[in-house]
Order: sequence, then C-alpha cells, then structure tokens
Amino acid sequence: MNANTSRQSPAEGEESAQLFARTARDLPTGRHQFHKERLMARIHEARQEERQAESPAVRRQTERQAERTAGAPGGFRRLRLPRPAITLPVLAAALAGVVVTGVVRTGGDGVRDGGGVATGPALTTTVGAATTKGLPQLLDQISLAAAEDDHPVVEPGQYIYIESKAADTFLKTVGDKTTLASHRLHTRQIWDSPDGTKGWLIDPAVNDSPEGETLSLPDEQGNTPRAHLGAPSYDYLAELTTDPDELLAKIYEETAGQGNTPDQQAFTTIGDLLAESYPPAELYSALFKAAAKIPGVVVVNDAVDAVGRHGVAVARLDETSGLREEWIFDTKSHVFLGERSVQVKRLTGTDALIEPGTVTYTSAILTRAIVDGIKQTPSRSG
Amino acid sequence: MRTRVRAGESSAFAELFDAYARAVYNHAFRLTADWSTAEDVMAATFMEAWRLRDRVDPEGGSLRPWLLGIATNTARNQYRSNRRYRTAAGAAAAAELSVPDHADEVADRIDDRRRLAAALTALATLRRPEREVVALCLGEGLDYEAAAEALGIPVGTVASRLSRARRKLRALAAEEPEKAGGNREGGRTGRQVRGDHTHVVRPAQGGNR
Repeated sequence: MNANTSRQSPAEGEESAQLFARTARDLPTGRHQFHKERLMARIHEARQEERQAESPAVRRQTERQAERTAGAPGGFRRLRLPRPAITLPVLAAALAGVVVTGVVRTGGDGVRDGGGVATGPALTTTVGAATTKGLPQLLDQISLAAAEDDHPVVEPGQYIYIESKAADTFLKTVGDKTTLASHRLHTRQIWDSPDGTKGWLIDPAVNDSPEGETLSLPDEQGNTPRAHLGAPSYDYLAELTTDPDELLAKIYEETAGQGNTPDQQAFTTIGDLLAESYPPAELYSALFKAAAKIPGVVVVNDAVDAVGRHGVAVARLDETSGLREEWIFDTKSHVFLGERSVQVKRLTGTDALIEPGTVTYTSAILTRAIVDGIKQTPSRSG
Repeated sequence: MRTRVRAGESSAFAELFDAYARAVYNHAFRLTADWSTAEDVMAATFMEAWRLRDRVDPEGGSLRPWLLGIATNTARNQYRSNRRYRTAAGAAAAAELSVPDHADEVADRIDDRRRLAAALTALATLRRPEREVVALCLGEGLDYEAAAEALGIPVGTVASRLSRARRKLRALAAEEPEKAGGNREGGRTGRQVRGDHTHVVRPAQGGNR
C-alpha cells in the first residue's frame, strides 16, 4: 500500500509544483481517530446486517440500484449510527449557499474590532416571539393551500424560472479586522432545466459579470449528473414520494451527518426545497406535512420577507448557531412568501458581532414560472 | 490489498484510512476550499469506498488514485456552480491571511498560511475540470495515468486540461507583481469576498507580520 508519488517532469511542473508546497495539513486533533472509528463501526454493522439478510452479492447490487435511482452522495443509506455529540460542520450551508456567517471564522478570537474597511449596514429586525400554539393547524392550512396551487407541468426543453429578491449579512475579515457586512437587497434570477443539467443564474451578489453565469453541468465524463435532495432537479422532485412519513424518513437518511443536528438539517433541507424550486403540488403539500413532524418547529406570528411583506412564519431554532430559520407565509392565503434567518441567540468571540436581531439572510420569492428558454422571463414580469 | 478490499475486510479499510485519510482530506480541501467540508468529504469518501469495494479492479497498484477519484466525485457534489467555489476560496484565503495579532506563530507557519491562500486563489481561477486535474496531479502528485484512472477520463484529456490550467496559472503568476502596489481598501460592498482574493498573493504586509 505504498503511496503513488510519481511526479511530472521537473521542468514542466516547476512553478506549479511549488504552488502546493507546504499547504497540506493534518486533520484537526482527534478527528482522524474519530472518523476511523466511525468508519469501522459502520463497516462492522453493515457486515452483520449482510450476514443476517441476503447474500452480500445481492445486497450490494440492491444498494447500487438504490444509488442509481436515489443518487445521493455519501451513500450508506441503510447504515445509521446515532449522531455523536460533536458538532460537525455545516455542510448544508455550503450546499445551499445560504448563510455565509462563520465561513471566515478561522481567524479566531483576538481579532480587533474597528472601522476603516468597507462595510454594508447590517440587516436587523425585531426578533418575533415563538410559540408552538397553533402550529399543527397552521401547517395544515399551508399544506392545503399548497395542494390547491396549480403547478404547471414542465415539458422537456422548458425551464423553471424563479425570481427572488435577496439580501444577507455576514462577517467579513480584511487583514486583522472582522466586521459585519451585507449584500444589499438585489434581484436573483435562476433558470433550471427539468433534468437539472442546464441552468443559468443572474445574481449580482455572486456573479462576476452582469450577464450572470451558467449553472449547466459540464459532463465531461459522459455521466448523467445525479440530482439529490441538496441539489434537486424538477424531475428528481417529481419522482419523490408524497407520503409525508416516507419523505421525512428519506430526508433524515440522506442528510445524515450534515448540519448541526439531524432535526435542524431536515428542516433546512425542506426550506431549501420550498424556496428555489417548483415542485409538483402534491410534493409541496407533503413537504409541509413532513415539516410538521420535525421536533422543535415553532410558529412566529409576525415575520417580514425581503420585500417587506408581513406574514406568519414556520420556524426552527438551530441551537448550535443560534440562528432561527423562518419560512414566511401570507397570513390569509398561506402562500409561501419567502424565508429568512434571524440571529436569536447571542454568540461569543468574533461571532458576537452578529447580534441578536441580525438578519443573516432574507429572501422573497416574486415569480415562479415555466419558460421556454434560458434568460427568458414570463411576459408579465418583463 | 485489492483482494482484501474487494472482500470487504475491515482491517484493509482501517489500513487504507490510516494511509490516505490525510491525502484525501487535503485533496478535498483543494476542491471545496473549506476545511470542515473537506472533513465531511473525507469521511464520506471512505464510506463510499467501502460501498463501492466490489468495483475495485483486482489487478493494479496503489488504491490511492481510486480513493482520490471518489473524493473528487464527492467534492463535486458540494458545488453545483463554480461561483460557490470561488466564494468559498475567497473567504478561505482571506481567513488564512487574517492572523490574530496576539498569535505568536512562527514565521514559517505564517508563510504556510500565505502559501495556502495563494494556492486557493490560483485554484479559484480555474474551471472545475481543470481544478480537479490540477489538484490530483500537482496537489497529490498523481501521474497522468493515475489521474485519468481517478477521474475516469482518457489520459490525453488529463494532459490537455493540465496544460490549459498551467497556462492560466502562469498568466496569474505574471500578473501578481503588478498587483503588489494596489490599494488596501476593500472592494465594493457585496463583492469584497472575492474582491479580496485578487490581493492575497501579495507580499506580507501589515496584519501578516
């Protein structure tokens, strides 16, 4: 098991070879052992299951088929260990690209505060009171409203177009200074083909160029890109079960190991599906029924979306980050308006800059439509 | 080893993990620009390797390219678009350069941080397929054949991607001295994360002592 360390010819790789010199790091203390033990435990468990169940060959084949249809990264769906009490990093935040807070945290404490660097104003709000009263009724109503909504069918060659307004607040580190900064409220437009292989994004907060950039998946390897819960295509969503219990079980299973806690991760996953996708009405409805079963979900009676529309929110507090994710619905029609993340708990160290009441991310969905081409918008919106 | 892996012997996976966890971790970091994501990818890679064990060719050398290939696929699922990588790389590079004042880090360590920031900045200029080849060949030192095996693409494709990437990296290196005199003010609000990373390869100054 010797490492394969063959190198390029020295002349050719001269400048690039030094690019990575001394950039490798060890895993954080204890993590090598931690992950190794976890791997061993899972293998052990899997082998025992195999012995009890079918023959290994059959089992592995089944797994592979499951992988082909479900297609989630990380695999190992049927093997679940109780989550260790160690907070694993928020993989999902990276996936969803939502809350940027904490990414630049590695500067650590001892960062001096003070002005002098470019800062946008922090977005703030009044933290609404949370209650569990009326939650089941509210989710029922939302679910019913969702089921009645007439979601059109997307034909191949068409695109799902979603236009939203978004803004966020994040910690920004320049040199030795960390301050709060924000992306001002801006329009975000996204086009996605039903199979998820073609897409386009226009979002001044993330694009280099005003034309936006492609989201199409270059498929150099001839593989069909696999959609999964964290990056679903319309086709993928259309095939998901609409049984709330099965759906929730699937969400827990496929997001195992991501996020701060399994419950929060399940909630966030559903939230991401609500915001920037256009699932069939039955699934939309099922997602709310599934959300109702996640422990810790609350009602916030007054919440405001990114464009100032007031509504009622279904929310959940992430105890680790102190952020409350709020899905905002119209009080009367129960139509989904948008979502936001509000800092509810006070943090320590550099993160204390994000004071309670800070809105780290907010969005409002303005348009969802089916259009015939990338960069086309429905006539009524221009 | 390949036989033992194919048979699903747990001791073989324990050895694989001890031998290659660090390499997979660093490779994943280069592809995700985030240490905690890299840790997740590393863990998922070995789980995936166990699940895919019967696809291992019984004949062949080190399993390192195979693992790095799985890690590449796993990391790829983290970012649907290059912009997310660039954002993460910008943030990670900035974080590397924001050394706390009180830290009594030795000069070597600070130099390493700057190297890492420069490497991320360079990687962020590449397209994803180029970055993957660069990470495998230059980061992990695989030869063309091993990288081709890891990515499941022809050797010629590896070579052409690598040469294109090298041209870009050389162009970037040539630009650097000009930027050294640039001002230290942040970019426009809302752009600063990526605005920063054009500056990170400059010589140490101010906060980087």
